[in-house]
Amino acid sequence: MKRQIPLALCFLFGVVMIFTQFSPHPVSKSIYERVISGALIIGPFALVLATITLIQTHINRIQRRTEHWGYSFVVFAGLITMVAIGVPFGPENPVFVWLYTNVQVPMDATMFSLLAFFIASAAYRAFRARSTEATLLLVTALIVMLGNVPVGDLIWNTILSWTGFENQASAARGWILDNPNLSARRGIILGVSLGVISQSIRIILGIERSYLGGGD
Amino acid sequence: MTHYKICLWIAVCTTLFLWTSLGYTQGPTAPSNVVAKDTPNDDGTSITITWDVPADGSGIVGYNILSSIDEADFTQIGEQLSLEDVIDTKTNICNYQDTTVSRLNAFTYIIQAVTESGDTIQSQQTESVRPKAQIFHTGKIPLFLAMLLFSAAIVGNIYYVRSGREVFVRRIPGLEAVDEAIGRATEMGRSILYVLGLGGVSNVATIASMTILGQVARRTADYETPLRVPCNDPIVLNVVREMVKTSYLDEGRPDAYSEDNIFFLTESQFAYAAGVDGMMLREKPAAIFLQGTFYAESLILAETGNSIGAIQIAGTDSEAQLPFFIAACDYTLIGEELYAASAYLSKEPMLLGSLRGQDWGKLFIFGLIIVGVILELSGINWITTLLQNVR
Amino acid sequence: MLTRIVNMDRRYVFILVALAVIIPMLFSVSLPVSISQPTQNLYDYIENLPAGSTIMLAFDYGPSSLAELNPMARAILIQCFRNDIKVIALTLYADGTTLASTLIKEVAEEAQAVDGEDYVFLGFRPGATQVILGMGTEIAGVFETDLSGKPLSEIPIMKNIVNYDQIDLLVDLASSATPDAWIIYANVQYGLKIGAGVTGVMISQMFPYLQTGQLVGLMSGILGAAEYENLVDVPDKGMQWINVESFVHLLIVLLVVIGNIAYLIQREREES
Repeated sequence: MKRQIPLALCFLFGVVMIFTQFSPHPVSKSIYERVISGALIIGPFALVLATITLIQTHINRIQRRTEHWGYSFVVFAGLITMVAIGVPFGPENPVFVWLYTNVQVPMDATMFSLLAFFIASAAYRAFRARSTEATLLLVTALIVMLGNVPVGDLIWNTILSWTGFENQASAARGWILDNPNLSARRGIILGVSLGVISQSIRIILGIERSYLGGGD
Repeated sequence: MTHYKICLWIAVCTTLFLWTSLGYTQGPTAPSNVVAKDTPNDDGTSITITWDVPADGSGIVGYNILSSIDEADFTQIGEQLSLEDVIDTKTNICNYQDTTVSRLNAFTYIIQAVTESGDTIQSQQTESVRPKAQIFHTGKIPLFLAMLLFSAAIVGNIYYVRSGREVFVRRIPGLEAVDEAIGRATEMGRSILYVLGLGGVSNVATIASMTILGQVARRTADYETPLRVPCNDPIVLNVVREMVKTSYLDEGRPDAYSEDNIFFLTESQFAYAAGVDGMMLREKPAAIFLQGTFYAESLILAETGNSIGAIQIAGTDSEAQLPFFIAACDYTLIGEELYAASAYLSKEPMLLGSLRGQDWGKLFIFGLIIVGVILELSGINWITTLLQNVR
Repeated sequence: MLTRIVNMDRRYVFILVALAVIIPMLFSVSLPVSISQPTQNLYDYIENLPAGSTIMLAFDYGPSSLAELNPMARAILIQCFRNDIKVIALTLYADGTTLASTLIKEVAEEAQAVDGEDYVFLGFRPGATQVILGMGTEIAGVFETDLSGKPLSEIPIMKNIVNYDQIDLLVDLASSATPDAWIIYANVQYGLKIGAGVTGVMISQMFPYLQTGQLVGLMSGILGAAEYENLVDVPDKGMQWINVESFVHLLIVLLVVIGNIAYLIQREREES
């Protein structure tokens, strides 16, 4: 029964929601709107669940004195401070904004900016002319990289101005993104979409049950 | 007598002249062929009225729409409409959709043409119409058929495989390397790190990733290799705990399962990346699985994994992140290979059958694309038109 | 030596990248920016909207991608306030709330736009897909109040706005897959016109939507932000950072070229 009820609900809602996509009838519309409103409630519950899980995880760490357990106090300090200011005074409160701007923004931005360093090191390692295909990839990557910034067009206009064409670095980048990139991407999208539909059918029919936590 | 005849002659000629010239003048005439019909494929909240486009030089500059509810007096709906508002240039017919109607009443319409001078000429009143809600949207028939066909292909193939027939599944190197990765971690006495990405539990890639995790957990239970799973979503966390626990139970090793190894990190994208990177650098896992939905953090995770020399198996349906994984990981499952993974690893007939059905769907689309291109090049464009009209 | 270049320690690459970022920031360098068609299309679309039209601006990003997306948001807000286009802002990111609110207030103050009359910020609601679908039926059903807690029925700008039917364009400024969600659920289901501004790593993902016309226009990364600033004629952070980015790109190109020359010489020697 523990599995049968969720499977039956999944089948019922799956079939009904598919039907609502093909029916303009007000009853179908009303069912669709009710299901969407119901689903909206899940979002806030997930946030509450996240907070509870976070607290539980770190209380466990402190109780069991696992490795680096001291940092769990930092988690609690951050959580309590932001909740204590954010919940009663709202996200526009000057103290909240100050903490957000001077703590969260730099920390998040630092992590994101690591991407620039990693892209550079990964590009240096991966773009090697080992074969014809790899050379093609290398040349394409260089064109797109140069076309993506104004310096690409500047180099073209300075060195190749005698050709009579202007801004061809960005034009070449546009062509690559518009044609070879798009063709490959569409191929992947078609495959992925069919995979998603197939997976959804398996879930609706109860063939795929991993979302219930495994087992039969 | 002569005078009388001349006067009569002049009068006849003048009348004839006036009559013929009036007949040929493009003066304002009443709107013709006015028809009111229930709007098809709607929820019964509109009626469509159509009538002929006025002749050039008719002097008509706009229209008023008058309606009568249940044969009561006619009243005007909204403001006066200009010709641009009502003329459909594709069909060259005037049309107006009255969305003020209710399914409980019957409606009759009169179209009132308005001339430049402000005079009005009314059409005949239409027949009475009651709006109806349709149960099925006929414009979606091709989509419905495609869905039925694809579902039938999947279900049919599941039965085909269940009847004991063999199905060929091509080699997927990334999945064949799963055992190698787990074996390596076991030999080195290090842990395995499994990252499910940023998707929620309703995300198909996350579900596929959880299925792979189930299979990985079975093997780690056998080898007693620690399996660490930091989660980004609290709902995913609970499902994953249940799933890994079941895998350990199935392998007869419930004692080896530790709930502490599957934990919630944070929902924030880059804080999650920072947390996972920290784990990689501190614990130096021998094998890292990056399976699911990833965004900009993909390379941050993969490059850190690469820097510690772990064997990395990635898989995602986020096409934009594939180049990063290909550059930094040892094996990458591209797009739908991730969805095929559960069937590939478990060899379960139900899943293998659906995989075969999926291939049929792909074959059908390929066929459609090739036939469409050939027909389009030959100047026949009904396939393109049909596909463009599918909503 | 060649082996050392071919297998260069990643930390040297990191140092070079850091220098390529820091040095151009110390000197004022200005490179000419040509406008790409997708950015021009988005600008033209908003420019051609009649005064009094309403656009929805989704701040679907967190502080991590602020550097790329904030300049886009700023430029679009300036264009809207200048053309008397009403802006309904919202976010599907919990940590995008403060960021969006601060930026909107800042630009509104400069443009002397009035809260509730020229713009409104609805804030954040969890559950992206459900929020997008829910607003297709009724915006007030999802956001009962604006961020300050004022009921939507009391906000002048929301007086005649029920759902997407009254919205002329949605611009999604995104650092993840939200443009896909907006296109699938708001454009396909409700016919809402959509434009987007995305981070550099997502550009190629958006091109299929541009070709099908599901996106009316697109700003691509910091380049897109610089292009848009150029179009609205208010050069700011986008213009400044695209110049810095130019040097980093140039460095990567140089590194890749040097790495390949070393690799080819090494292979040649090994073969001979």
